Amino acid sequence: MFEIKNLNASIQDKQILKDFNLKVNPGEVHAIMGPNGSGKSTLAHVCAGREEYEISSGSVGLDGINLLDLEPEERAVRGLFLAFQYPVEIPGVASMTFLKSALSAHYKFNGKKELTIPEFMKLIKEKSNSLNISDDMIKRPLNVGFSGGEKKRNEVLQMTLLEPKICILDETDSGLDIDALRLVANGVNLLRSKERSFVVITHYQRLLDYIEPDFVHIMADGKIIETGDKNLALDLEKTGYNDYIEKDI
Amino acid sequence: MTVKPSNKTSQIDQEILKLCNDKIDSFLDYNDDISVIKREAFKRYSKKGLPNRFEESWKYTNIHKKLQNIPVSDKNYPIPLNVDNFINSFDIMSKIKSDNDILIVFMDGQFIPELSMLEYSKNGIEINFLSHGDVPRWASELMINKHNVNEDPLFDLNTILMQEGVLINVSANVKIDSNVYIIHIGNNDGFFNYRHVINVGKDSHINVTELKVSNRVNDALYTSSVLWNIGDNAIVNNVKYQAHNQSTVGFNQQYADVGSGSIFNSFTISSGSKLLRESRNISCNGENSEVSISGVNLLDGESHIDTTLVVSHKAPNSLSKEKYKSILSDRSRSVFQGNIVVDQIAQKTIAKQSIDALILSNDAEHDSKPELEIYADDVQCGHGATTGQLSEDSLFYLRARGIGEDEARRLLVHAFISDVMEEIQDTNLRNVLRDVMNNMLNRVSKGRLNV
Repeated sequence: MFEIKNLNASIQDKQILKDFNLKVNPGEVHAIMGPNGSGKSTLAHVCAGREEYEISSGSVGLDGINLLDLEPEERAVRGLFLAFQYPVEIPGVASMTFLKSALSAHYKFNGKKELTIPEFMKLIKEKSNSLNISDDMIKRPLNVGFSGGEKKRNEVLQMTLLEPKICILDETDSGLDIDALRLVANGVNLLRSKERSFVVITHYQRLLDYIEPDFVHIMADGKIIETGDKNLALDLEKTGYNDYIEKDI
Repeated sequence: MTVKPSNKTSQIDQEILKLCNDKIDSFLDYNDDISVIKREAFKRYSKKGLPNRFEESWKYTNIHKKLQNIPVSDKNYPIPLNVDNFINSFDIMSKIKSDNDILIVFMDGQFIPELSMLEYSKNGIEINFLSHGDVPRWASELMINKHNVNEDPLFDLNTILMQEGVLINVSANVKIDSNVYIIHIGNNDGFFNYRHVINVGKDSHINVTELKVSNRVNDALYTSSVLWNIGDNAIVNNVKYQAHNQSTVGFNQQYADVGSGSIFNSFTISSGSKLLRESRNISCNGENSEVSISGVNLLDGESHIDTTLVVSHKAPNSLSKEKYKSILSDRSRSVFQGNIVVDQIAQKTIAKQSIDALILSNDAEHDSKPELEIYADDVQCGHGATTGQLSEDSLFYLRARGIGEDEARRLLVHAFISDVMEEIQDTNLRNVLRDVMNNMLNRVSKGRLNV
């Protein structure tokens, strides 16, 4: 179970998250929607362990362990995955080397025997086929020269390989055309299971047509102000955020 | 702000001048080419002495300070008995030898025939040594030409004190795919001075690899100059690898004149050294000539590596590419001064310079100074320089995938130099050097280099 309790975080003395609470049971998909500046991306980065945020109180628990006490890499191997809004391009680091290092770290933590090179290659080929990721793409340096769609598909490939317990998708739909969006959403849907949960951060309802959420939360000014089912997202699309924000005030 | 130079010469200045004075005595009574240029160099050098920081090209490098406590003596030492073991202890040397290669080994200023392999040199490659007396006419002419236009006091110093070096003459139309290795080993304290001259005939292809390594911690000082003359339509691949300990001071000078239609690729890896000054003066003398000058500097401790490069375009349609990457840790300092001069006649010149530094500690410093002097109106010249730390975004991205911080740093440090290593043309040599670099970088990424 993934549970965020009374989380308060700030950057450069500006408080972004204000007593933020969220409980995600295994297998659930939660969508977080909200206007620009509401703190959605901060939430994602704080959970993953980005250092520049000051956390004054609260906890981010995964199966009873407070992730805030751990380094980013320890959070990752314990099962937290952040799909980046802007995946970083790293020239000079081969995609394969990166995937192998990441996978090895996970296997090592879980006490699993490391894959041989042929086993690894086979696994990559199998997983990348279903995401329409070409050999050529995998052979390039990490994310370098990838289109927006390719970068997001690469994020889903990593998610597929690393088999996390909780996936936080930070505006995964941004910059995607409708075909790429469908491809990415299909990849995510294939990963849905009873054990795995998702927090899907998005501006637009459109993504939720493809990844159907169990809960939709509206986030404003650093906290959740409204929770509902998928229909909340549809309503939101019609009315905009202001109605909810004003209601909250 | 201007500061007046002090008239006082430093202790080291006086010691070196005295050594030069002693040395020049034995050349006073001769009129051969070498004795004449030595005397002329002494005359010029004794007026100025070592350069100081008030001279523009020495602004970032305090030679006097770095030379403090370095003994100025050129006494020779016996060769250690276990010399083979000693050679093999250098990672790189054990991997490079091949039966077809020419191996020319020097230790502490002396040629070591027992370790050298000159057999292959019959095929159109003539090899002589500076110390053997009769310097061939072609070699002394090249030395005189450079001597006549020289303005660098350290080149004069090298001329005065040069005691040994190899003179390689490659005939026209000689194409060898094996390597010529010129190896310098520093094993003891002392002051050693090498002069190598390499003439490459037209239409010839040659690979020359220079290795300079120093052994245990000692206070060694050396000057080494390599004069290249490259004929028309020749291809030269030159790789230099130098790994010194933290108490070696080295002054390297490279001069290259590149003929029409010729290609000169020169790649340098430098690491360690108390002070290393790499002065390079490359001239595209012929039309359609191409030069690529690139390298990697790895610095740690108190190392100071200064690369001062002048690339001159003296004929139309020539191309030059400079690409350097430096990785600095601890309190090290690197300096890059890159001057590109395009003569009026050199229309359609393409010249590119890119200088990047990765700084891994708070106390390291990198200074980068590009200079362009362009007298032609139809050219493409560009320069770019970056200095920075490892990207926090990249580090976080890797760590967010479970990759530990040390491993993530290691990956990023490797990534930083990955593209420039591609400039090494010989794939085998590139792979060997990659391995050597990987070992060094694994240490530097944690903040320590320890070559």
